[in-house]
Amino acid sequence: MSQSGHLVLCVDDEKVGLQVRRLILERSGYKVITAHDGQSGLSLFESNPVEAVVLDYAMPGMHGGEVAARMRERKPNVPILLLSAYLGLPAEITKLVNVYMTKGEGAPALLEKLGSLFEN
Amino acid sequence: MNLNQLNRILLQTLLLPVVFLLLVAGLLVWQVRDAERTVERIQVANQNIATANLINALMVDEETGVRGYQNTSNEIFLQPYEFAIGPLQDAFAKLRAGVTAEQGDTRPIDDLVAAHQLWVTTIAEPMIDKVRNGGNTRDPGTNLRGKAELDNLRALSGAIIDTEKQQNALAVQRWQTQVTHTLYAVIGVSLVSGLLIGAFARNRLHAVTSAFQGTLLALRDETQSTYESEQRLLATLTSIGDGVVVCNSEGCVVLLNPVAEQLTGWSQKDALNRAVHEVYALVDETSHEPLENSYELVKQTNRPTGTRNTVLIRRDNTEIQIESSGAPIHDRFGALIGVVIVFRDVTEQRRTQAALMASEKLAVAGRLAATIAHEIHNPLDAVVNLLYLMKSGSTPEETQQFIQMASTELDRVTQISRAMLGMYRESRTPVALELKPILDSVLVLLERQLANAQVTVKSILLDKAIITGYPAELRQVFTNLIANAAEASAPGSTIEIVARIIAASHGRGRGYPRAGVAIIINDHGSGITPEDLDRIFQPFFTTKGEHGTGLGLWVSQGIIQKHGGTITVESRTTPTDPGTTITVFLPRGDAELPPHSA
Repeated sequence: MSQSGHLVLCVDDEKVGLQVRRLILERSGYKVITAHDGQSGLSLFESNPVEAVVLDYAMPGMHGGEVAARMRERKPNVPILLLSAYLGLPAEITKLVNVYMTKGEGAPALLEKLGSLFEN
Repeated sequence: MNLNQLNRILLQTLLLPVVFLLLVAGLLVWQVRDAERTVERIQVANQNIATANLINALMVDEETGVRGYQNTSNEIFLQPYEFAIGPLQDAFAKLRAGVTAEQGDTRPIDDLVAAHQLWVTTIAEPMIDKVRNGGNTRDPGTNLRGKAELDNLRALSGAIIDTEKQQNALAVQRWQTQVTHTLYAVIGVSLVSGLLIGAFARNRLHAVTSAFQGTLLALRDETQSTYESEQRLLATLTSIGDGVVVCNSEGCVVLLNPVAEQLTGWSQKDALNRAVHEVYALVDETSHEPLENSYELVKQTNRPTGTRNTVLIRRDNTEIQIESSGAPIHDRFGALIGVVIVFRDVTEQRRTQAALMASEKLAVAGRLAATIAHEIHNPLDAVVNLLYLMKSGSTPEETQQFIQMASTELDRVTQISRAMLGMYRESRTPVALELKPILDSVLVLLERQLANAQVTVKSILLDKAIITGYPAELRQVFTNLIANAAEASAPGSTIEIVARIIAASHGRGRGYPRAGVAIIINDHGSGITPEDLDRIFQPFFTTKGEHGTGLGLWVSQGIIQKHGGTITVESRTTPTDPGTTITVFLPRGDAELPPHSA
């Protein structure tokens, strides 16, 4: 399923994880821009026609929940997929995003969930 | 009334009669002497009478002699006259002496002697001469004169005798009076003194009796109040919730209160007079070696021992953990007369404490769980994705690269999991540890938390900072302390961690008495207020609201004390330079590092 170049913004402070995720998404046909923290993520979100966001929760400074809230304020229509290493995030955070999944579920699951964001 | 007073009273009571007796004796002696004198006088008077009678008789003899001669002109008949002359002079002298002796009037005697002499010279001698010369002896005139003189003589001597008899009678009368007086006096004095003595003795005995009674009453009251206070004390001892063992100065049990009976398994009856270490047998908690008894400790130092936690072996050989302390019992003069030991069963309490500590250990794990999950999930997620990439086709160079990345990520997982296991796998005996690896692994575990809080850690950790202890417990302590520092710190601030090797310093007040390592954790957070500072080591005290169990520092302090170390906190809340410095000292201890340690 080649996703004809949807622009996806990936935000994660884990450098290796981010790099690998980018490779997977690009291999699936997405165009990917990345940021290492919430602040730079928000500025990229602002200045680019991002079509979806893959956002990590646990980040120093602003965590994923805050970033999602800000994004919702700016461009509420852009779907957000929240990735977390934690299980059981509070509902006020999970309801801010479209999809919530944990790390370790594997690449196919990620691609599937991301794809579902574009189906509507 | 004391013994001296009693002695005095007895003495008085005994002496008084003696004194009176002496008085009476004196009186008698005096009277008897007086009577003796009177008797002497009687005797003298009698003597004088006898002498006077003799004089009479002799004068009669003289007269008879003269008359006989006058009648017969025979010399033989003159013998009575001649024989009487000498004795008559003697008798006169004697009479004179006798009357002088009774201080009587000697003039009658002189008169008598003179009259007799007159008769001798004017009547008797002339008559004798006349007869010798054959003269007229029948001259009535001479005879009449002679008779008249003789009558005079008789009258004179009669008068003397009468006087003497009067004297005699007087003396006898006086003697009788004296005797009567003496009798009355003796009776009177005896009665009076008897009464006085009686009264005095009665009075004294009364004093003794009432004093005795008073003493008895006082004694009874004292006994009563002593008994009452003894009862009170016994009731107190019986009611208190701690066990009490009292032993005498030889170390034999003299009292066991009910709680002590129950805890030791010995009844007071059975325990009485046994050696205290038989009934109250203590062993060390860990080594189970018999411990020096509280009694012995107190006897050595003569001061109260501190509280200590030990194990008590009961009569049936079961064990309980107890907390006990001993104190000396002194008499009024400060000599040691016994030892009192107070103890309580803390088995339950210790179990609770152990449970709390264990739960805190788990809570620490829980608090780290989120971090751990993150630290493990992220690398694993990356590895899973890399495998997917490799499976779905990659160039050999890419594959190499991917394998390398996966390897690095897995190393990270291993590191984290090792650090986590290090928290919980515990050695049974203390071992020699280098501090640097421990602190490093703790910092690994806390990396994410520190990164989230945007806090940097500057650490100066020396190699060869070696201590003796339990690694997992020490990791728990440092995790707690560094996490606290991180939570207190504002984003962008630093935490400094320094480990310093301490050499033993003796004497001088400050400084550490033993060799070891001091670990100083310093943060620049808002500091701890002085009121809170007093309480931070108390269990269940937290300044983190709902997010803290309040057990972290309590458990940490317990662990450090178990290692024989100390933990001190110094904090500043001044706005210019706030922060907290925690200093942990851990002793070097005896354990040796295994050879070839990294």
